[in-house]
Amino acid sequence: MTRPFLSIRAVRKAFGAFVAVHDVTIDVPKGEFLTFLGPSGSGKSTTLYAIAGFQDPTSGDVLLEDKSLLAVPSHRRNIGMVFQRYTLFPHLSVAENVAFPLRVRGRPDSEVRRKVADMLALVRLESFAGRYPGALSGGQQQRVALARALAYDPPILLMDEPLSALDKKLRQEIQAEIRRIHRETGVTILYVTHDQEEALHLSDRIALFKEGRIEQIGTGEDLYLRPASEFVAGFIGNSNFLTAEHLETENGTAVVRLADGSIIKGVKATHALGHGQKARLMVRPEAFRLMPAPGNASLAVEIVDTAFFGDRRRVVARTGSGEEIDVRPTSDTAEPGDADSASGQQIFFDPAAAFLFPA
Amino acid sequence: MLLDYDRLGWLRAALAGFTALVAAFLLLPVIFIVLLSFGSSRWLAFPPPGWTLKWYQELLADPAWIDAALTSARIAAMVAILAVVIGLLASFSLVRGEFRGRQLLRGLLLTPMVLPVVVFAIAIYAFFLRIGLAGTTTGFVIAHTILALPFAIIPIATALEGFDKSIEDAAIVCGASPLQARLRITLPSIRIGIFSAAIFSFLASWDEVVVAIFMASPTLQTLPVKIWGSLRADLSPVVAAASSLLVGLTLALMVVTALLRRRLSR
Repeated sequence: MTRPFLSIRAVRKAFGAFVAVHDVTIDVPKGEFLTFLGPSGSGKSTTLYAIAGFQDPTSGDVLLEDKSLLAVPSHRRNIGMVFQRYTLFPHLSVAENVAFPLRVRGRPDSEVRRKVADMLALVRLESFAGRYPGALSGGQQQRVALARALAYDPPILLMDEPLSALDKKLRQEIQAEIRRIHRETGVTILYVTHDQEEALHLSDRIALFKEGRIEQIGTGEDLYLRPASEFVAGFIGNSNFLTAEHLETENGTAVVRLADGSIIKGVKATHALGHGQKARLMVRPEAFRLMPAPGNASLAVEIVDTAFFGDRRRVVARTGSGEEIDVRPTSDTAEPGDADSASGQQIFFDPAAAFLFPA
Repeated sequence: MLLDYDRLGWLRAALAGFTALVAAFLLLPVIFIVLLSFGSSRWLAFPPPGWTLKWYQELLADPAWIDAALTSARIAAMVAILAVVIGLLASFSLVRGEFRGRQLLRGLLLTPMVLPVVVFAIAIYAFFLRIGLAGTTTGFVIAHTILALPFAIIPIATALEGFDKSIEDAAIVCGASPLQARLRITLPSIRIGIFSAAIFSFLASWDEVVVAIFMASPTLQTLPVKIWGSLRADLSPVVAAASSLLVGLTLALMVVTALLRRRLSR
């Protein structure tokens, strides 16, 4: 294996008795877009700050091309960063904001001018060069902040929830911009977010944080299709969890009994479970079908509600034991029976697409 | 809301009338002084029998008055500079610092605003007599700086509280040293507060009379002390002229502040 570009080694950060980050280790290859995903307080931002130099880790090391960053003060790390809050310098024009990192580096005027023009073109804000931050929208401010962070060609760009203050539509627009800019510049990006859709959309790899530890790290597909734990399955995408009891496992597939008494066979066994052990069966809403296919398991349910969303339907079903299931078949499948008269309906799913986690 | 201005009805007129009355009560003496300074009566009679500029001529021809005005301006300028520098340092530690006794320090620095001036004046006079600073420019500047500090700290600390520290962090990530970031980014961002602090501290010294009377010596007098002394010696319209100039400069500074605030806060 080639040596990693950026290496986060057993980074630990404690605030008194509270440990915010527990020995996090990640290797990041050059040019990767890696997202730290997790709920607030999971240690993802703290890890980012340790790389930026705002918080010294209690122990562990951060290496960039085999050289430790920890002894280097923030302003000499040559790292780019976009913050959650709007951090443009209010008394400087857009062009002077982007020029600032070059000016403190004492670059000649001609180079500064050229680079500022390049950067503003990169974020498509050429015509805003003379404006002041107060006259920009939130989205424009974050694009200028991105231009400023990239102006000095940093080897790593850190982004700390840069879109969380923006509305959904704008967020998606800027996500597309960030993808394009990552493609065009090839800069290594470490991105922090609590929004799993954003993480899936942007990242090459996602590190999912939980209580200061990395719960799972992998591509979006890994996390979505092969979640390592109930937490991952619940955090990435939508999921239904059904109370289950593990009966037996043979040939890598498990047999479980659900709370309503139905027996499901052929569930992928990813965890070693004993006989009679309490477990949770996770099925994605889109894995449910209203019509049976070969090898499908079935559940007797009552349809509580149906709604039409254009590309999908959303059906809320209730099992005999009272557990609600979110079902999202594509809209070209037949509508299920009327909600009022639909007791005795069945829904179907492929047990190989379900996951069993210890409860 | 309990008192909704839009629903006050006839009370609105009453409120407006009362406000006008209060404003008149506060402003009329000043207006009278200014009018009297242009009146031709030697005895400050009102209404003046005629109008003249001779009191101003007399004022400007008297080196004692010019000297007092220059002394006042010199002391106030030094006070403004000192108060802003100390106020900046104090504000950073009060707003950004995390240490025990921070609130106590804040209270202590703001005490001169609530302490009876005469108590402060006697205390510092007694102290300065002992260490030989009474009647000196240095003593004047130190005493007035203490009085002016709250007026410097309040606007600067308020501006600093309203300034997002992430912006300073951003400057540091961009490659500026922490000191550079503060000088090039933070200070310009809170310049309205700094500017207000300078004006307020200047004025706190410029029109201060109680401490000044204690600090003054026959050779070192500020304008308010000279006015006060002249009033006791002889009631000449020259005093009204001097007072008008004092009011005029104060007013001019306030207008400049308001204009600059508007221009800076785009």
